[in-house]
Formats: sequence, structure tokens, C-alpha cells
Amino acid sequence: MAELLVAEGVTKRFTGALALDDVNFAVRTGEVHVLLGENGAGKSTLVKVLAGVHAPDAGRIVVDGQPVRITSPQHSRDLGIAVIHQELTLVPELSVAENLFIGRLPRRFGLVDKARVRRDAVALLDRVGLRVDPATPVRELGIAGQQMVEIARALDLDARLLVLDEPTAVLTDTETDRLLEIMDGLRREGVGLIFITHHLEEIRRIADRITVLRDGRSVAMLPGGASVQHMIEQMVGRSIDEQYPRQDQQPGDVLLKVDGLTRDGVFADVSFEVRAGEVVGIAGLVGAGRTEVVRAAFGVDRYNSGTVEVAGRRLPGGDVHAAMRAGLGLVPEDRKGQGLVLSSGVGENLGLVTLRSATTAGFVDRKRQDQRAAEMASALRVKTTGLSQPVRELSGGNQQKVVIGKWLLADPKVLVLDEPTRGVDVGAKVEIYELINRMTASGRAVLLVSSDLPEVIGMSDRIVVMAHGRVAGELPAAGATQDQVMALAVQDRITEETPA
Amino acid sequence: MTSTTARGFDARKIFSENGALGGLIVLVVALSVLAPSFLSTQNLLNVGVQAAVVAILAFGSTFVIVSGGIDLSVGSVAALSAMVAAWASAEAGMPGPAALVLGLVTGVVAGLVNGALVSYGKLPAFIATLAMLSIARGLTLVVSGGTPLPTPDVVSFLGSNLGRFLPLPLLIMLVFFGVTALVLARTYSGRAMYVIGGNEEAARLSGIDVRKQKLVIYALSGLFAAVAGLLLAGRLSSAGPQAAVGYELDAIAAVVIGGASLSGGVGRASGTLIGALVLAVLRNGLNQLQVTPFWQQVVIGVVIALAVLLDTLRRRSR
Amino acid sequence: MKLTRRVALSALSVTALAVTAACGSGSSASGGGDISIGLAVSTLNNPYFVELKQGAEEAAKELGVKLVVVDAQNDATNQVNQVQTFTTQGVKSIIINPVDSKQAAPAAKAAENASIPLVSVDRSVEGGKVASEVTSNNVQGGSLAAVELGRATSGEVVHLQGIPGASAARDRGQGFEQGLNSGSIKVVASQAADFDRAKGLDVMNNLLQSNPGLKGVFADNDEMALGAIKALGARAGKDVQVVGFDGTPDGLKAIEDGTMAATIAQQPKVLGHKAVEEAVKAAKGEPVQRVIDVEVKVVNKQNLAEFKK
Repeated sequence: MAELLVAEGVTKRFTGALALDDVNFAVRTGEVHVLLGENGAGKSTLVKVLAGVHAPDAGRIVVDGQPVRITSPQHSRDLGIAVIHQELTLVPELSVAENLFIGRLPRRFGLVDKARVRRDAVALLDRVGLRVDPATPVRELGIAGQQMVEIARALDLDARLLVLDEPTAVLTDTETDRLLEIMDGLRREGVGLIFITHHLEEIRRIADRITVLRDGRSVAMLPGGASVQHMIEQMVGRSIDEQYPRQDQQPGDVLLKVDGLTRDGVFADVSFEVRAGEVVGIAGLVGAGRTEVVRAAFGVDRYNSGTVEVAGRRLPGGDVHAAMRAGLGLVPEDRKGQGLVLSSGVGENLGLVTLRSATTAGFVDRKRQDQRAAEMASALRVKTTGLSQPVRELSGGNQQKVVIGKWLLADPKVLVLDEPTRGVDVGAKVEIYELINRMTASGRAVLLVSSDLPEVIGMSDRIVVMAHGRVAGELPAAGATQDQVMALAVQDRITEETPA
Repeated sequence: MTSTTARGFDARKIFSENGALGGLIVLVVALSVLAPSFLSTQNLLNVGVQAAVVAILAFGSTFVIVSGGIDLSVGSVAALSAMVAAWASAEAGMPGPAALVLGLVTGVVAGLVNGALVSYGKLPAFIATLAMLSIARGLTLVVSGGTPLPTPDVVSFLGSNLGRFLPLPLLIMLVFFGVTALVLARTYSGRAMYVIGGNEEAARLSGIDVRKQKLVIYALSGLFAAVAGLLLAGRLSSAGPQAAVGYELDAIAAVVIGGASLSGGVGRASGTLIGALVLAVLRNGLNQLQVTPFWQQVVIGVVIALAVLLDTLRRRSR
Repeated sequence: MKLTRRVALSALSVTALAVTAACGSGSSASGGGDISIGLAVSTLNNPYFVELKQGAEEAAKELGVKLVVVDAQNDATNQVNQVQTFTTQGVKSIIINPVDSKQAAPAAKAAENASIPLVSVDRSVEGGKVASEVTSNNVQGGSLAAVELGRATSGEVVHLQGIPGASAARDRGQGFEQGLNSGSIKVVASQAADFDRAKGLDVMNNLLQSNPGLKGVFADNDEMALGAIKALGARAGKDVQVVGFDGTPDGLKAIEDGTMAATIAQQPKVLGHKAVEEAVKAAKGEPVQRVIDVEVKVVNKQNLAEFKK
């Protein structure tokens, strides 16, 4: 196996801060090489250097034994490097085939050669194992299919080095399995792959080698079979005693009671309770209606029937502000799209929920708002240059801390966390778990929606499992296994709709 | 860096926050050299007075643009408000101050209609306010019968000088500058504008009543338009049916020159003031240099593009 | 999908509103009779054309014909569409008050194709066939203004121009320059103020800074002249003489007050009246007069009484 790409002593500095500091790294042909590190460790910067977006300040890059200076994204592609970013670059309204050959559709007599487009598209899609009609509009594909189209396009451009930046963050388990199979196939064909993921189990399944980045430095090169514990230690630079540090509390009064909540065609007859001091997990497959239920309970979306009570008070439907006043908070699934004002500062974002309570006669007490934001930022250990730093510039984990922090300032009785650790690195995850513990220790409650089964089992006291918009079952977290939860989650629609 | 309550005069901070200020200074220096009469006290006062109407319209537009919307109706609403006030006193015989208040109410009502169409009717702001542009202009013609009407004395007073030298329009502009800065920086609605413009969904999920705030935002824009219209009419002692045609574009240009983003979430009162001054200085200077009218429009367009371009480059280099 | 529908609906309602607004102030029908005549006005955003429309309506009433008025809102393309619409509505003749002389030919063509006689009023139609042309001569008016200003004052004067490129601004400016030879005045600055009173005020203020010693002002219309008078303050009518154009009620009042030296009165009502008379003749197939010159008159303090209504 030949060295495909070697990076030696690569250093990149952004206005004072070292983003990459003497990074060494190599990928061979026919290898899956994992880049592992916390958010902000320098993975994205390294990828951008390889993609020709950033030029390194020092160090050299060798491709096929030749030192190169990658000057532009086009140059990078010419060298055979293809990067699949988290944000896909497809045109949703165009067909799969058109997307595959965008800008270079084969032509005959000046017209697009439809027959050839179709033939070539089928062959390409076959290579990535995607069985769809090439005429299908891309928007109908779903996120996993779209990724495959991106990968197929990269392969057609003769990519020999494929960089996959957190492709599995948005995929379900089965979709992830398929992706890993395809990666394995490409590896056999001699393609070199750089794979970035936060899911340590995936690394154990696919990686040949692992390079760990920490604070911009390449701190370790591990073999593919390294233990999870070992990977975490290298990543955070200290050993983490427990991945899920849940502290049990004695359950108190019912703080949140959802009863028979129904929204036609989306979810039906959903009931559960959350007591003071409790963490209740909501598990289920993507599309089971979990997010929809918590959004409706919080008053974001309307529902047709059923009731939501917070601390014994019934909430009016479709009124976020009433839900807030009653003591409910929601950290939404899509933190960038729904939780944060990216262009505004850390302080401004932390003060979002308390803006109204800090207002007297129309005027906001900004001094107090800033003071409380500063206290919260330091209590949550948000890594930032200051309260005025735009949250756009923070890492995913720190952004999530800001979203949670804005709710903690409002001191809700029940906080709903929808996928709170998605795209968050291990160190920050544990800090978020500790925040959950602190909330329940002070008599508050948490409703935890998560697709990460070990997390739901590890952090909840009870687990409500949803399937097809209904509650498929409830079980205590202690002693629950992933298999038990999955068995409920994949429950057949028919058995479930049979009257008991 | 974390201190948002820094006090005292910090020239570097002012420059880094207001990119267009450099452009304004370049313009002023160039004109002082080219046109000897430019730097006289009287002329500078003139520039201030000439900036006042557009500046006040632009302050109102700043609220809307910061919150991610757009208000195309401000020119027409200004004309309508002034015409209603003039009609009330000249034709309906109302006392001047009451007519003035009626004019202001007209602006607020037009703004509320815009706000309701946008927030409850879910119309795109561009379309809702485009409709209002046409409606308000049409109503101005209906009320006036197509001819100018004299304004009541109290309105004419707004356009006159206080004492011998101090032009009231200039003072009113500065007062509204202060009000705008205060609203944006210190009030609940002002802070909500930045949140809504930055991420409307996040605003909603953080318990901000986005629809109600939009009503407030467009009502403020309507009120400011009414003030600008009354000022314009006051300067002429006459409300014209064709007054302030196209002023909405000047107002938007002033806001954008001032560094606001049309996609929302960004904008400052000081920037808008500078933007309005840039336009006024430019027109004044071009008149004094006696540039031919055909070329003036070219020059104004080039300066608008340059001002925004410089600001964009400055941000990118940071 | 939902959004597109919403946008389409909104656009539709805007159009509807715009149409309603236009109708409220524009379209009207006077009298009965079986003859219906279309009048396409350049804009009703200007008192001058409102008077023209009133004159036309009076004539229609007297002659017992139906008059349909549309307003192009100063948009030449819009006006062509409106004239085309007339040709399909069974009007017997069309009166056009062109937004721009040079851009009215397609409208004339449309009328010609439909064999409907066309009468132009206030402005001519260049490059198109008209049965009759009812105008007051803008070039002549400009010359008269120069003479009148030369009589009222001597020394440096400024010229406030209308919208750059508009035909009235072109013609009046051209006439003004032609008439300059006859007086002892010298133009030191020509700047556009777009026929707008507020702009007239601002531009005049600016010109006063660079030309403090000026003695006179000619403005392409009364609105700008009134703005200039506002800028001149106490100097207006004393050591600076202002001459306007159009003879609007506000302009006449300024002459009465002594702040404006003179204006060139066109007679918009007469223009409108004559245009309808010719249009009715044309509709009935009677012979029409090819060119009707409605007199342009200098109005000053001496003859003001003739024009005040």
C-alpha cells in the first residue's frame, strides 16, 4: 500500500490563534484513516487545508511522492481529493443524474445526450450501491441517499482520496451500516478514505488507523482496533471515569403531564409523566414522532386533542410564551436553525429567554443581562473570547452549552432536551450530562429525546419508546438493554394499532 | 472586549463599528477642496437639514431591516400623513396640533396594516409594503384631489429655524437619532428586532412573540415616516400629492450604506445617520460642483456601491 | 409550493389594489351618449394634468359624450398598454397625453391599426400619425420666460431643470436658452430638481452657497419655483426674481404675494377642452384641425386677474 498523501508539520494560524500546530498525518491507498478529536481540535481546518480552502503557514503536503502546494479547491480536485462536507452541495430540484454530471453533462450535437447520461448514472450509482431511478429529483432521496450521490459524483471525478466530514451524524443506524459497507468496498478498490466521526463504535468497525488531534496538534496515531477508553483518553487528554455519570434522585411531584396528545397524521394518543428529580428519555427511530411531540407540548406546533400540564397547570395549545411562563423550556434539535442567533454574541444569545423578564417599562436592563450571561458562561465553561464573540465562531459543543445556558437562566421546572449531544464531542457531552444531573438534583426535571441509545439508557431514569407516532412502551432505564429498546422501537404498526 | 458598557470617546471603536464613516470623511474632505463654499457653517447646516427627511425615514427603516424585513411604503406613507394633516386643518378646519396628531396617527395606522399583513397575513414584507406603497399614494391623491394643500402653522414651524440659525429639522433629526439608538440598544422591542432578524425561529422558540413584535416594528416605521413627511411638508409649508416619491429607496440605501444587512440581524442608528449624511453631502456637493444632472445619477450610484463594497471588504479582512 | 401560491396571491391582490387605487382617482365617465372617448393621461400626480383632465371632463359633459380616463403614472410603457386596451373597448377616438413625446409612437401605431383616430394633447407624438395635435408650445414658453426674467432682473441667474431627459424639461430648457440672447442675464448654473418642490428647495439652497450673488431663477415648473422661493426666503421677489412655468394655483398665489415675478401659464383646462372637441369631431368623421395651438401666456402681477379663478 503506497502513501497517497502525507502531511508533515502542517501549521495554520488564524489571527493569533494556532488552529493547526505541527500536524503530521498520512493516508495510504486502500485505507480508512480516521481523524479523531474534540470539536475545535483542528479537524475541520485540516480538511480545509487538504481541500485547498486554506493555505498552510508552514509544513508541506506530499501527494504521490510529489510535494505540492494546494492553491484552490479546483487544484485539490485535480489532485484527486474529494471532500464530502456535512452541508451537501446538491441541487435539490434537479434529478440524480443531472446532479451527478452537473456542469459537464455529456452532449451530442449540442444537445444533452440523455441516453448516455442515464447509462453512466446507473453505472455510477451501482458503484455506491444506491438503487434509485436516475431521473428522481434529489430532494426526494433523503439525506443518506443524497450523501451517496455526492460520493458517486466524487468517484466519477476520479477521486482517489475521499474525505468524509461527519457523514454519519445525520444518518440512522441502518443507513450508517450501509455507508460503512460502501466505504469498505471503496477501500478494496484502492481508494484512500479520511473519515471524521464522533461515534467511537463506528471507528472500531471500519478504521485501519486513527490520528488523534487535540488543540491543533496530532497527539497520537492509534491502530484501528484501539479501545473506546483509549480513544477518549487521547482525545480529551485525561481519563474520563464514566461516560454517563447519571446520579439518581428520589422522584417527587409530577412536573410535566402529557395526556392523550394527538396531532392527526403525525402522532396519536401520546401520554407520559415526568416527575421532579427525574430524567425521562424518549427513544425511537427517526420519524417516530418524538420531536413533533415535544414541539407540540412546548406550544411550537398545534395539536388536535389531548392535554399538557406543567406542575398541575394546563397549558393552552400553540403558545410558546405560556409554556415558558408555566416553567417549560425546550432545547431544540436543530440548534443552529432554531436555538441560536448565529450572528449575535454569546451574551446576547444567553439572554434570549430572559429578555422579557429583564424588561421594565419596555427597557431592558442590559447590565444585569450581561452580568448573568457572564456568570452562566463561566459556570458552563463556554470556551469563548468574550460575551460579544458571535456564536457562529464557537464549536458545536460550546454552541449547545449556550442554548442550554439560556434556558438555565430562565430556571425552568422541566427542560426538554432534543438531541442535546448530536455533533458534540466527548468532553462536552459529559459536561452536558453533568448539567442534567445538577438540574435534577435541585428538584427540576429533564425530558431527554435522543437517538443515541447508550445515552438514553445511561442518562435516563425511565425510557418512553415511540414508534409510528405512538408510545410503544415504557421501561425503567436501570437494567434496560439496547435490544429491548430497539424491539419496542421497531414494533410493527399492526400489532400496535390492535386495540388492547 | 466583553465590556459593552465602555465609556468615553474611543475613535478606533467608532471607526471599526461604522465603516461608512471613513467614506463620509473622504467625501467631505474632497468636497472642501473642490468646492470652496462647501465648508461654510451655513452650508453644513443646509446639508443637515437636507439629510433630515431621508434620515428619519431611514431610522424607521432600520428597525424593519434589522428585523429582517423591508418597508417599501415609507415614501408614500410620509406623503399621506402630511396630506392628511394638511387636509384636516385646511379643509376640515381642525386646529393645527390636532391635525398634526392625526397625521402621525395616519402613519402609525399604515404601519400597523403593514405589520398585520406581514405577521398575521404571512405576506412577504416586500409584497405587503409594495401594496401599501400604492395604496398610500393613491389615498394621498384622493385626499388632496391632486393639488398641494397648505400645512397648518404648527407643521410649518417644524420646518423652520429656531431662533435665527438653528434649523429645527436638524434638531428633530438628532432627537430621532437618539430615540432610534435608544430603542435599538435598550428596549425589549429593539433587542427583539436583532433576534428576529438573526433567526426568527430561534426568537419564537425563545418565547418572543414574533408577530406582536412585527406589529410594533412596522408601526414604528410608519410613525417615523409620518414624522418625516410632516417635516418635508413643513419645510415647504405645503403638502404635495407627489411628495417623497422614491424616498423609500434613499432610505434603504442610507441604512445599507450604514452597514446594515438586508438579510437582517445587523444594523445601527449611527450607521444609518452616516448613510443619510453621505447621500445629502453627495447631492449638495454635486450641485455646488455643477456636475451635469445626467452624470449626477451615475456618481450617486457609484458612491452607494463603493460605500457598501468598502464596508464588505473591511468586514471580510477582519 | 405553498409559498409560491401565497406569493402569487399576494401579487394578485397588489395588482387589484393598484387598479382600485388608480380607478379611485383616475377613471371616470362623464355624460351619456353613444360616443365614448378614451383619454390616456401621463400622470395625475401633478395638479397641471388634473386640471387638463377637468377641462376634458367639462367638454365631454357639454358635448354629451362618454369619457374614459386612464392614468399612466408617468410610465411610457404602461401608457402604450392602456392605449392598446382602449382599442379593444370600442372607443370611437382616443386622446393621448404622452408621457414622453419620443416614446408614444407605439401607442399611435396601435390606434392606427385599429382605425381609431388619435388626438395628442399637451405633448406631441413623434414618429406617429395623429388626427389632431393640441399643444401649448413649450419651446416658445421657455423663450418667453427668458425674456420675462431679463425684463425683471439682470445679472447672474440659475436654471432649475425638470427630470433629466423628460420632454417638457428638454423643450422648456431649449426655449429658455434661445430666449436668453434678448436680455442682460447670464446663466451661471443649471441643475436638475426633477419638477419636485422639495428638491427645488434643496437644490436652490445648495446653489445659493456657491452663487451667493445671483439675481434670478428660472424653473421648468412652478413646483420647483415655489421650492426655490422657500430657499430664498426674504430675498424672493426683492433682489432675486423667480420665473416659473405652468401657472398652477399655488404659482399664481405666489405672484399675488410678490414672491414670484412671473410664470408661463399654459391653459391645461383649455387644452383638455379643445382635445375633447377635436376628438368628438374625429369620432363623428367630421373634419378636424391638424394643429391647435393653445396660447401660452406670461402671467405677472399686471395681468394676474385674468388667470385667477
